[in-house]
Amino acid sequence: MKKYTLWIAGGLGALLLLLVPLYFKSTFVLHIYTLTFFYIGLTAAWNIMAYGGNLSLGHASFFAIGAYVGALLYVKLGISPWIGLTGAVAASFVGGMILSMPLIRLRGPFFTLATIAFTEVLRLIAIDWRDLTHGSAGLNIPFDLGWLNLTFKSGAPFYYIALALAVGSVWLSRWVRYSALGYHLRAAASDDQAAEALGVDFNLVQITALLISATLTAVLGLFYAFYSYVLEPATLFSFELFSLQPALNAIIGGMGTVWGPVIGAVFMTPLGEFLRFYLGTIQQGLNYVVYGIILIMTVRFFPGGILSLLTPLGVRFKRWIGDTGDNQ
Amino acid sequence: MDFYIQVLISGLLLGGIYALISIGLNLIFGVVRILNFAHGELVMLAMYGTFWLYKLYDLDPYLSLVVVLPAMFLFGVVLQRFILQPVLTTSGVMKMFTTVGISILMQNLALILWKGDFRAVQTFYSMSTIKFSGLIISIPRLVAFGAALLSIILLYLFLKYTYVGKALRAIVEDHATARLMGITVERHYLLAFGLGALFSALGGTLMMPFSSVYPTIGGPFTALAFVIVVLGGLGSMGGTFLAGLFIGVIEAFAGTFVSPGLKEAIYFVIFLLVLMVRPQGLFGMGRGTEEIGLK
Repeated sequence: MKKYTLWIAGGLGALLLLLVPLYFKSTFVLHIYTLTFFYIGLTAAWNIMAYGGNLSLGHASFFAIGAYVGALLYVKLGISPWIGLTGAVAASFVGGMILSMPLIRLRGPFFTLATIAFTEVLRLIAIDWRDLTHGSAGLNIPFDLGWLNLTFKSGAPFYYIALALAVGSVWLSRWVRYSALGYHLRAAASDDQAAEALGVDFNLVQITALLISATLTAVLGLFYAFYSYVLEPATLFSFELFSLQPALNAIIGGMGTVWGPVIGAVFMTPLGEFLRFYLGTIQQGLNYVVYGIILIMTVRFFPGGILSLLTPLGVRFKRWIGDTGDNQ
Repeated sequence: MDFYIQVLISGLLLGGIYALISIGLNLIFGVVRILNFAHGELVMLAMYGTFWLYKLYDLDPYLSLVVVLPAMFLFGVVLQRFILQPVLTTSGVMKMFTTVGISILMQNLALILWKGDFRAVQTFYSMSTIKFSGLIISIPRLVAFGAALLSIILLYLFLKYTYVGKALRAIVEDHATARLMGITVERHYLLAFGLGALFSALGGTLMMPFSSVYPTIGGPFTALAFVIVVLGGLGSMGGTFLAGLFIGVIEAFAGTFVSPGLKEAIYFVIFLLVLMVRPQGLFGMGRGTEEIGLK
C-alpha cells in the first residue's frame, strides 16, 4: 500500500506538468520549463557516460551534430526533421566512434581533455565551412508551420516534446544503470583493473555508453535546433552552454545517480536564466561569476551533490512510510 | 624561399613564448598533478597587470616585470593554498572542475572590472624591426624569445642542481616516496604553483609590447599549453620547449597557407593523434602518470 503513495504522488506531479501550458500563457514561463526539460535530457544523457567514471566536457559536439544534420537535411533537401532524426543518430554514432579512437587509451582528466579537443575541431570546421553552415552568421530554419516541419504557432507543442524527451532520457539512463552495462560501468568506475580481471571489457562498455549518450544528445540537439530555429556555431558548440552545463548540473545534483541529474537541471536551469536576466543585465559577466563560485563551492563542500544531502532525509522518509529498502 | 624562412622565423619566435607559458603548466601538472584550466587566465591577469602599470604609472612593460612577476607568484601560491589545497584529496576530474570554476570566475571578473575592450601598450620599440638579408624580425618578439629561452634554461638548472629543485623532481616522480624521504610535499606544491604562475606571467608580459589583452584571451592559451605539454611529454622541460617551437611553426604556416580559421583545428587534431598513438608524449617519462589518466 505504501508503494502506491509514491506512485500517486508521481502521477499527480506528471498531471500537473501536463497542465502547465494550459495555465501559464506567458511565453517566458513556458520557455523556462521547456529549457529545463531539455537540460534534464542533456544531463541524463551526459550522465550515462559518467557511470563509467570518465567525464566528458565535449557533449556540445554531439548536440551540434544532431542540430546541424537535422536542420541541413530540412533546409537543403527538404527532408522532414522526423525522418532527419535517423540521420542525426547515424552522424552522432559515427562521431562517437571517431572520438572513441583516442579515448580508449585514456582515463580521468586526459579523457576529458580529448573530448574538449574533439569539440573544438568540429566547432572550428563548422565556423570555417561557410557554404554548408553559413559560418558565424548562422543558419536560419525557414518558418513554415506544421507538425512535419516541427514549426508551431505557440510554445505548447515544444513544451510537450521537451517533456517527452526529458522523460525518455531519464528512463533510458535509469534502464542503462540497472542493466548489465550499467553494472559493468559502475564496476569499472570504482576499480577498472579489478573489473577487467573479473571479465568486464572496459573499452567495450565505455564505447557503448559513449554511443548511447552521444546519440541521445544528438536527438536532443535536433529538437533544440527546431525550437530555437537559428543555428550558430558559437551557441551550439558553446563550451559553457552544452559541454560544461550538463556536467555542472550532474555534479550539483549528484553525479552517477539516476535522479541527481534531474535535480541538478531543475535547480540550475531556472537559476541560470534568472541570473542571466537579472544579474546579466545589471553587469555583463556577473551571472558567470556566480556560476564559477557555485562550481568551486560544490566540489569543495558537497562533491556528492544535492542528492547526497537529501539521501539521509530520504532514508528517514522511507522508514516513515514503511519501506525497508530491499530494492535498489 | 625568403618568404618561407620569414614564416618559419615568426613561428619560432611565437613558439618561444608558447613554450614559456606551457612550461608553467607542465610544472604545475607534474608536481601538483592538477590539470590547470585557469592557466590562460594567469597569462591574462599578468597582461592586464602590465597594461595598468603602463597606463597608470607609465611603467615600461619590461620594467613592470619587477612588480608583475612577484605578484603573480604570490597569486599562484594563494590560489593553491586556499582554493586547490582543500580539494587535493578528491579525484583528478573534480580538481579539474575546480580550476574550470577559477577560470570562469577570473575571466568574468576581468570583464566586469576592465570591460571587454582590447587594451594595448604602445612603446617606442613596439614596431621596431631588424632587417637582416631580406628578412624582417620584430625586436620585441626577438627579445621575448631570448628571455623565454634564458628563463627556461634557468629553470632547468634550478631543477637540476639546487636542493629544492631536486625535491620538486622527486615529487614529480613519486610524491608518496618523496614524502617518506622527508620532503614537505604540500609546501613544494605551493612553490610549484607559484613558479607555474610566474612563468605564464613572464610569457604574458613579454607579449604585451606587440599584442593586446582582453578578458577571454586566456582560453586559447590554456588550450595551446595543453597541446604543447601533451606533445612534449609530461615532466619533460626540453620536450615542452621543442613542442612549443613546433606548435608555433605549425601555427605560422597553417595561418599563412591553409586558413587562419583552421590553424587551431590543426593543432587540436595533432593533440588527438598524439593521445591516440603515444599518450605519454614525444619526450614524456610515462612514469607515475597512471593516476592522472595516462598509461
